[in-house]
Amino acid sequence: MKCKKAERFLSKSFDGLLKNKEKEELQRHLKSCLHCQKKRKEYQSILETIRKKDFPEPKPYFWKRLQPKIEERKKYEPWSLWKQWGIRAIPLALLIVALLAASIVFFFPHQNEELSQSEVLLLRNMNPLQETRTLLEEEGVEDKNMMLIFAAMEEKK
Amino acid sequence: MEEKKLVQLSREGNQEAFAELVKKYKTKMFNLAFGLTRNHEIADDMAQEIFIKTYFALPKFKFKSEFGTWLYQIAINHIKDYLRKEGRIKKVLFEESRQNTFILENETIRKEKEQSLEQRKKLIHQAIQTLPQKYQVILSLRDIQGFSYEEIARILKLSPGTVDSRLHRARKMLRKKLAPFLNLKGGNYEM
Repeated sequence: MKCKKAERFLSKSFDGLLKNKEKEELQRHLKSCLHCQKKRKEYQSILETIRKKDFPEPKPYFWKRLQPKIEERKKYEPWSLWKQWGIRAIPLALLIVALLAASIVFFFPHQNEELSQSEVLLLRNMNPLQETRTLLEEEGVEDKNMMLIFAAMEEKK
Repeated sequence: MEEKKLVQLSREGNQEAFAELVKKYKTKMFNLAFGLTRNHEIADDMAQEIFIKTYFALPKFKFKSEFGTWLYQIAINHIKDYLRKEGRIKKVLFEESRQNTFILENETIRKEKEQSLEQRKKLIHQAIQTLPQKYQVILSLRDIQGFSYEEIARILKLSPGTVDSRLHRARKMLRKKLAPFLNLKGGNYEM
Protein backbone atom coordinates (compact mmCIF):
# COMPACT_ATOMS: atom_id res chain seq x y z
CA MET A 1 0.00 0.00 0.00
CA LYS A 2 1.22 3.49 -0.83
CA CYS A 3 1.32 6.28 1.75
CA LYS A 4 -1.33 8.26 -0.13
CA LYS A 5 -3.85 5.44 0.15
CA ALA A 6 -2.79 4.79 3.75
CA GLU A 7 -3.58 8.39 4.67
CA ARG A 8 -7.06 8.05 3.19
CA PHE A 9 -7.59 4.89 5.20
CA LEU A 10 -6.23 6.63 8.31
CA SER A 11 -8.76 9.42 7.98
CA LYS A 12 -11.59 6.90 7.48
CA SER A 13 -10.42 4.79 10.42
CA PHE A 14 -11.28 7.66 12.78
CA ASP A 15 -14.88 7.42 11.58
CA GLY A 16 -14.97 3.66 12.10
CA LEU A 17 -15.66 3.14 8.42
CA LEU A 18 -12.85 0.77 7.50
CA LYS A 19 -13.65 -2.77 6.49
CA ASN A 20 -11.67 -5.56 8.17
CA LYS A 21 -9.60 -6.15 5.06
CA GLU A 22 -8.77 -2.43 4.81
CA LYS A 23 -7.88 -2.33 8.51
CA GLU A 24 -5.42 -5.18 8.08
CA GLU A 25 -3.95 -3.54 5.00
CA LEU A 26 -3.45 -0.28 6.89
CA GLN A 27 -1.93 -1.99 9.91
CA ARG A 28 0.57 -3.79 7.69
CA HIS A 29 1.56 -0.50 6.12
CA LEU A 30 1.85 1.29 9.45
CA LYS A 31 4.17 -1.40 10.82
CA SER A 32 6.69 -0.56 8.17
CA CYS A 33 6.17 3.19 7.67
CA LEU A 34 7.32 5.64 10.32
CA HIS A 35 6.08 8.54 8.27
CA CYS A 36 2.49 7.25 8.33
CA GLN A 37 2.76 6.36 12.02
CA LYS A 38 3.50 10.01 12.65
CA LYS A 39 0.58 11.04 10.50
CA ARG A 40 -1.71 8.72 12.47
CA LYS A 41 -0.66 10.37 15.72
CA GLU A 42 -1.21 13.80 14.23
CA TYR A 43 -4.73 12.89 13.09
CA GLN A 44 -5.45 11.34 16.46
CA SER A 45 -4.27 14.43 18.33
CA ILE A 46 -6.26 16.81 16.10
CA LEU A 47 -9.46 14.80 15.98
CA GLU A 48 -9.49 13.98 19.68
CA THR A 49 -9.09 17.66 20.45
CA ILE A 50 -11.79 18.98 18.14
CA ARG A 51 -14.21 16.20 18.99
CA LYS A 52 -14.21 17.18 22.67
CA LYS A 53 -17.56 18.79 23.34
CA ASP A 54 -16.81 21.99 25.17
CA PHE A 55 -19.66 24.15 24.00
CA PRO A 56 -21.02 26.84 26.27
CA GLU A 57 -24.76 27.46 26.38
CA PRO A 58 -26.37 30.22 24.32
CA LYS A 59 -27.10 33.37 26.26
CA PRO A 60 -30.24 33.25 28.44
CA TYR A 61 -33.68 34.47 27.33
CA PHE A 62 -32.95 33.40 23.77
CA TRP A 63 -36.58 33.59 22.60
CA LYS A 64 -37.32 36.77 24.53
CA ARG A 65 -34.43 38.41 22.73
CA LEU A 66 -35.38 36.90 19.39
CA GLN A 67 -39.08 37.76 19.34
CA PRO A 68 -38.72 41.58 19.23
CA LYS A 69 -36.12 41.21 16.47
CA ILE A 70 -38.62 39.26 14.38
CA GLU A 71 -41.30 41.89 15.03
CA GLU A 72 -38.87 44.64 14.09
CA ARG A 73 -37.90 42.83 10.89
CA LYS A 74 -41.57 42.41 9.98
CA LYS A 75 -41.86 46.19 9.66
CA TYR A 76 -39.17 46.15 7.02
CA GLU A 77 -40.70 43.24 5.20
CA PRO A 78 -44.36 44.28 4.90
CA TRP A 79 -44.50 42.77 1.43
CA SER A 80 -43.26 39.38 2.52
CA LEU A 81 -46.75 37.87 2.39
CA TRP A 82 -47.51 39.59 -0.89
CA LYS A 83 -44.20 38.33 -2.28
CA GLN A 84 -45.09 34.82 -1.25
CA TRP A 85 -48.43 34.89 -3.10
CA GLY A 86 -47.28 37.33 -5.76
CA ILE A 87 -44.61 34.94 -6.97
CA ARG A 88 -47.16 32.17 -7.18
CA ALA A 89 -49.58 34.47 -9.04
CA ILE A 90 -47.15 35.18 -11.90
CA PRO A 91 -47.35 31.75 -13.59
CA LEU A 92 -51.10 31.69 -12.98
CA ALA A 93 -51.53 35.09 -14.65
CA LEU A 94 -49.37 33.95 -17.59
CA LEU A 95 -51.50 30.83 -17.96
CA ILE A 96 -54.71 32.89 -17.99
CA VAL A 97 -53.29 35.25 -20.66
CA ALA A 98 -52.20 32.26 -22.78
CA LEU A 99 -55.64 30.66 -22.49
CA LEU A 100 -57.35 33.93 -23.46
CA ALA A 101 -55.07 34.34 -26.46
CA ALA A 102 -55.72 30.76 -27.55
CA SER A 103 -59.48 31.16 -27.21
CA ILE A 104 -59.42 34.32 -29.33
CA VAL A 105 -57.46 32.52 -32.05
CA PHE A 106 -59.66 29.43 -32.07
CA PHE A 107 -63.12 30.84 -31.41
CA PHE A 108 -62.93 34.09 -33.34
CA PRO A 109 -61.39 33.25 -36.73
CA HIS A 110 -60.27 36.13 -38.92
CA GLN A 111 -62.92 37.51 -41.27
CA ASN A 112 -62.03 37.54 -44.96
CA GLU A 113 -60.57 40.92 -45.60
CA GLU A 114 -60.87 42.48 -49.02
CA LEU A 115 -57.55 42.95 -50.75
CA SER A 116 -56.54 46.30 -52.14
CA GLN A 117 -56.00 46.64 -55.85
CA SER A 118 -52.24 46.75 -55.60
CA GLU A 119 -52.28 43.60 -53.43
CA VAL A 120 -54.36 41.84 -56.05
CA LEU A 121 -51.87 42.85 -58.73
CA LEU A 122 -48.91 41.67 -56.67
CA LEU A 123 -50.63 38.35 -56.11
CA ARG A 124 -51.08 37.96 -59.83
CA ASN A 125 -47.33 38.53 -60.20
CA MET A 126 -47.75 41.33 -62.68
CA ASN A 127 -45.22 44.01 -63.59
CA PRO A 128 -45.73 46.57 -60.84
CA LEU A 129 -44.67 49.55 -62.96
CA GLN A 130 -46.98 48.65 -65.78
CA GLU A 131 -49.83 48.01 -63.45
CA THR A 132 -49.19 51.12 -61.41
CA ARG A 133 -49.48 53.08 -64.59
CA THR A 134 -52.81 51.41 -65.32
CA LEU A 135 -53.96 52.19 -61.82
CA LEU A 136 -52.92 55.81 -62.09
CA GLU A 137 -54.69 56.13 -65.41
CA GLU A 138 -57.84 54.49 -64.02
CA GLU A 139 -57.89 56.76 -61.01
CA GLY A 140 -56.91 59.76 -63.10
CA VAL A 141 -54.01 60.65 -60.94
CA GLU A 142 -51.43 62.80 -62.64
CA ASP A 143 -48.00 62.61 -61.24
CA LYS A 144 -45.32 64.31 -63.26
CA ASN A 145 -42.50 62.16 -62.01
CA MET A 146 -44.37 58.96 -62.77
CA MET A 147 -45.27 60.18 -66.22
CA LEU A 148 -41.60 60.97 -66.89
CA ILE A 149 -40.57 57.47 -65.78
CA PHE A 150 -43.14 55.84 -68.07
CA ALA A 151 -42.11 58.07 -70.98
CA ALA A 152 -38.46 57.10 -70.47
CA MET A 153 -39.44 53.44 -70.40
CA GLU A 154 -41.33 53.70 -73.66
CA GLU A 155 -38.40 55.52 -75.30
CA LYS A 156 -36.05 52.65 -74.33
CA LYS A 157 -38.37 50.16 -75.97
CA MET B 1 -46.79 18.72 19.48
CA GLU B 2 -45.41 17.05 16.38
CA GLU B 3 -42.65 19.00 14.61
CA LYS B 4 -44.48 19.07 11.28
CA LYS B 5 -47.51 20.60 12.94
CA LEU B 6 -45.30 23.19 14.66
CA VAL B 7 -43.78 24.13 11.32
CA GLN B 8 -47.22 24.35 9.73
CA LEU B 9 -48.47 26.64 12.49
CA SER B 10 -45.31 28.74 12.35
CA ARG B 11 -45.82 29.21 8.62
CA GLU B 12 -49.25 30.62 9.42
CA GLY B 13 -47.65 33.13 11.78
CA ASN B 14 -48.18 31.33 15.09
CA GLN B 15 -45.32 32.62 17.20
CA GLU B 16 -45.86 30.15 20.04
CA ALA B 17 -45.27 27.31 17.63
CA PHE B 18 -42.15 28.98 16.30
CA ALA B 19 -40.97 29.53 19.89
CA GLU B 20 -41.22 25.74 20.38
CA LEU B 21 -39.07 25.12 17.31
CA VAL B 22 -36.54 27.68 18.55
CA LYS B 23 -36.45 25.98 21.94
CA LYS B 24 -35.74 22.65 20.26
CA TYR B 25 -33.00 23.85 17.92
CA LYS B 26 -31.40 26.88 19.61
CA THR B 27 -28.56 24.92 21.20
CA LYS B 28 -27.83 23.04 17.98
CA MET B 29 -27.66 26.27 15.99
CA PHE B 30 -25.56 27.93 18.66
CA ASN B 31 -23.17 24.97 18.76
CA LEU B 32 -22.81 24.98 14.99
CA ALA B 33 -21.95 28.67 15.01
CA PHE B 34 -19.71 28.36 18.05
CA GLY B 35 -17.84 25.41 16.55
CA LEU B 36 -16.85 27.56 13.61
CA THR B 37 -16.31 30.92 15.28
CA ARG B 38 -15.20 29.97 18.82
CA ASN B 39 -16.77 33.22 19.96
CA HIS B 40 -19.70 33.11 22.38
CA GLU B 41 -21.06 36.54 21.47
CA ILE B 42 -20.83 36.03 17.72
CA ALA B 43 -22.24 32.51 17.92
CA ASP B 44 -25.25 33.75 19.91
CA ASP B 45 -25.91 36.58 17.43
CA MET B 46 -25.56 34.15 14.56
CA ALA B 47 -28.00 31.69 16.09
CA GLN B 48 -30.52 34.55 16.45
CA GLU B 49 -29.99 35.66 12.86
CA ILE B 50 -30.41 32.08 11.65
CA PHE B 51 -33.83 31.87 13.34
CA ILE B 52 -34.89 35.25 11.95
CA LYS B 53 -33.96 34.10 8.44
CA THR B 54 -35.75 30.82 9.03
CA TYR B 55 -38.92 32.57 10.21
CA PHE B 56 -39.16 34.67 7.07
CA ALA B 57 -38.20 31.75 4.84
CA LEU B 58 -40.85 29.44 6.32
CA PRO B 59 -43.39 30.11 3.51
CA LYS B 60 -40.83 28.65 1.09
CA PHE B 61 -40.44 25.43 3.07
CA LYS B 62 -42.17 22.70 1.06
CA PHE B 63 -41.74 19.76 3.50
CA LYS B 64 -39.55 18.00 0.93
CA SER B 65 -36.95 17.39 3.65
CA GLU B 66 -36.95 17.27 7.42
CA PHE B 67 -37.31 20.70 9.02
CA GLY B 68 -34.04 20.12 10.89
CA THR B 69 -32.12 19.45 7.67
CA TRP B 70 -33.59 22.56 6.07
CA LEU B 71 -32.73 24.63 9.14
CA TYR B 72 -29.13 23.40 9.01
CA GLN B 73 -28.98 24.38 5.33
CA ILE B 74 -30.04 27.93 6.22
CA ALA B 75 -27.56 27.97 9.09
CA ILE B 76 -24.68 26.74 6.93
CA ASN B 77 -25.39 29.39 4.28
CA HIS B 78 -25.54 32.09 6.92
CA ILE B 79 -22.30 30.94 8.54
CA LYS B 80 -20.62 30.70 5.12
CA ASP B 81 -21.49 34.36 4.49
CA TYR B 82 -19.93 35.26 7.80
CA LEU B 83 -16.82 33.18 7.12
CA ARG B 84 -16.44 34.77 3.69
CA LYS B 85 -16.33 38.20 5.31
CA GLU B 86 -14.12 37.13 8.20
CA GLY B 87 -11.78 34.86 6.25
CA ARG B 88 -8.96 37.30 5.76
CA ILE B 89 -8.89 38.43 9.38
CA LYS B 90 -8.72 34.85 10.65
CA LYS B 91 -5.78 34.08 8.37
CA VAL B 92 -3.85 36.99 9.85
CA LEU B 93 -4.71 35.85 13.38
CA PHE B 94 -3.46 32.33 12.68
CA GLU B 95 -0.19 33.64 11.24
CA GLU B 96 0.30 35.75 14.37
CA SER B 97 -0.57 32.80 16.54
CA ARG B 98 1.92 30.61 14.64
CA GLN B 99 4.67 33.06 15.40
CA ASN B 100 3.64 33.28 19.05
CA THR B 101 3.60 29.49 19.28
CA PHE B 102 7.13 29.33 17.96
CA ILE B 103 8.29 31.72 20.68
CA LEU B 104 6.29 29.88 23.30
CA GLU B 105 7.67 26.54 22.14
CA ASN B 106 11.20 27.79 22.34
CA GLU B 107 10.59 28.96 25.89
CA THR B 108 8.94 25.86 27.20
CA ILE B 109 10.11 23.05 24.94
CA ARG B 110 12.90 22.05 27.30
CA LYS B 111 10.61 21.98 30.33
CA GLU B 112 7.52 20.48 28.81
CA LYS B 113 7.08 19.02 25.34
CA GLU B 114 3.35 18.51 25.53
CA GLN B 115 1.31 21.55 24.76
CA SER B 116 -1.59 22.14 27.07
CA LEU B 117 -4.95 20.99 25.83
CA GLU B 118 -6.35 24.50 25.86
CA GLN B 119 -3.47 25.86 23.87
CA ARG B 120 -3.74 23.04 21.35
CA LYS B 121 -7.47 23.49 21.06
CA LYS B 122 -7.07 27.17 20.37
CA LEU B 123 -4.42 26.57 17.76
CA ILE B 124 -6.42 23.85 16.01
CA HIS B 125 -9.50 26.03 15.85
CA GLN B 126 -7.50 28.93 14.52
CA ALA B 127 -6.05 26.63 11.88
CA ILE B 128 -9.55 25.43 10.94
CA GLN B 129 -10.59 29.02 10.44
CA THR B 130 -7.89 29.52 7.83
CA LEU B 131 -9.17 26.66 5.67
CA PRO B 132 -11.45 27.33 2.69
CA GLN B 133 -15.07 27.62 3.78
CA LYS B 134 -16.25 24.30 2.38
CA TYR B 135 -13.60 22.47 4.36
CA GLN B 136 -14.39 24.38 7.55
CA VAL B 137 -18.05 23.49 7.16
CA ILE B 138 -17.50 19.80 6.54
CA LEU B 139 -15.04 19.48 9.43
CA SER B 140 -17.48 21.23 11.68
CA LEU B 141 -20.38 19.01 10.68
CA ARG B 142 -18.44 15.75 11.00
CA ASP B 143 -15.84 16.27 13.69
CA ILE B 144 -17.35 19.01 15.83
CA GLN B 145 -21.09 18.36 15.51
CA GLY B 146 -20.73 14.62 14.96
CA PHE B 147 -23.07 14.17 11.98
CA SER B 148 -22.87 11.00 9.93
CA TYR B 149 -21.74 11.06 6.29
CA GLU B 150 -25.35 10.56 5.16
CA GLU B 151 -26.65 13.42 7.30
CA ILE B 152 -23.92 15.71 5.99
CA ALA B 153 -24.76 14.67 2.43
CA ARG B 154 -28.39 15.67 3.02
CA ILE B 155 -27.54 19.00 4.66
CA LEU B 156 -24.97 20.03 2.06
CA LYS B 157 -26.84 18.40 -0.84
CA LEU B 158 -23.78 16.38 -1.81
CA SER B 159 -23.27 12.72 -2.65
CA PRO B 160 -21.80 10.58 0.17
CA GLY B 161 -18.75 10.05 -2.07
CA THR B 162 -18.15 13.80 -2.26
CA VAL B 163 -18.58 14.09 1.49
CA ASP B 164 -15.95 11.39 1.94
CA SER B 165 -13.38 12.95 -0.36
CA ARG B 166 -14.00 16.52 0.83
CA LEU B 167 -13.69 15.47 4.45
CA HIS B 168 -10.45 13.65 3.75
CA ARG B 169 -9.05 16.69 1.93
CA ALA B 170 -10.09 18.98 4.79
CA ARG B 171 -8.45 16.79 7.43
CA LYS B 172 -5.32 16.43 5.34
CA MET B 173 -5.03 20.21 4.91
CA LEU B 174 -5.57 20.73 8.63
CA ARG B 175 -2.99 18.10 9.55
CA LYS B 176 -0.43 19.68 7.23
CA LYS B 177 -1.02 23.10 8.76
CA LEU B 178 -0.72 21.79 12.29
CA ALA B 179 2.03 19.20 11.89
CA PRO B 180 4.86 21.61 12.77
CA PHE B 181 3.23 22.37 16.13
CA LEU B 182 2.09 18.94 17.18
CA ASN B 183 5.61 17.71 17.84
CA LEU B 184 4.71 14.06 17.39
CA LYS B 185 6.91 11.19 16.28
CA GLY B 186 6.12 7.84 14.73
CA GLY B 187 6.69 4.60 16.56
CA ASN B 188 3.38 3.29 17.81
CA TYR B 189 1.20 1.82 15.12
CA GLU B 190 -1.43 -0.03 17.18
CA MET B 191 -4.95 0.96 16.23
